[in-house]
Amino acid sequence: MKLIQRDGENFLFHISKREKGLFFEVLKLYPLIPTAHHRVSQTAAPGVMESQKLLEGALAERIRENKRQLLAVLNHEVGLQETDDARAHRFKLSAPQVEWLLQVLNDIRVGSWLILGEPDEKKDKPIELNDNNARYYAAMEFCGLFQMTLLNAIQPSS
Amino acid sequence: MAETVEPVVLPDIEQEERTDAQSELEPGYLVICWDDPVNLMDYVTHVFQVVFGWPKPKAEFHMLQVHNQGKSVLTRESMERAEHYVHQLQSYSLHATMERDA
Repeated sequence: MKLIQRDGENFLFHISKREKGLFFEVLKLYPLIPTAHHRVSQTAAPGVMESQKLLEGALAERIRENKRQLLAVLNHEVGLQETDDARAHRFKLSAPQVEWLLQVLNDIRVGSWLILGEPDEKKDKPIELNDNNARYYAAMEFCGLFQMTLLNAIQPSS
Repeated sequence: MAETVEPVVLPDIEQEERTDAQSELEPGYLVICWDDPVNLMDYVTHVFQVVFGWPKPKAEFHMLQVHNQGKSVLTRESMERAEHYVHQLQSYSLHATMERDA
């Protein structure tokens, strides 16, 4: 996937059919992070329980809205248009849609990392791949690639 | 000649209520972002720019602080504002919390 045109806050990407297939397969994994994974505080100070409930409610609402937008892309290919030679697609995104897509991709990336057992080179904790989790390793890496493409596209305005 | 005004002494109970309300409004909560090995450095910088409206150099400074020191205090806010920022940061799946400033 690569940026081919930028018009103000609108972005037009070229995405090959194979990339689009991969992109959709990765997006279908959303959401991967359990809402309870997010903690509002590391301490048990007064008021934290209430804040935690607020956080989980806000995140659940965000996930519902993200899924609604995601289904529009996956089921109706909103924003996608096949090229004249039918070998690829043009993918049109506005700046808010890029932000939405970054959030979705990072949920899948972080969620995959959690499923992989939170591997960490600094702590000498390598990834232990097996038949069950290998696809999450692939998803984590592909999400990173798509995220970098989006970040590079919006960089001049950020 | 200026008028002389009698000092008004409020009942203790009202003073206590005012103190409680103030404690939630005073900027006594730190919004902290913690390091993890999965979030991309460019992504973290971008999220700081979007959530706080910071210029890129400031966002990069805090991103590097997270990366090198394990955490960065991003801002000191009232409880309500701190909650807002934590919600925003966590909607981008960053590891962020709010902690009472001791």
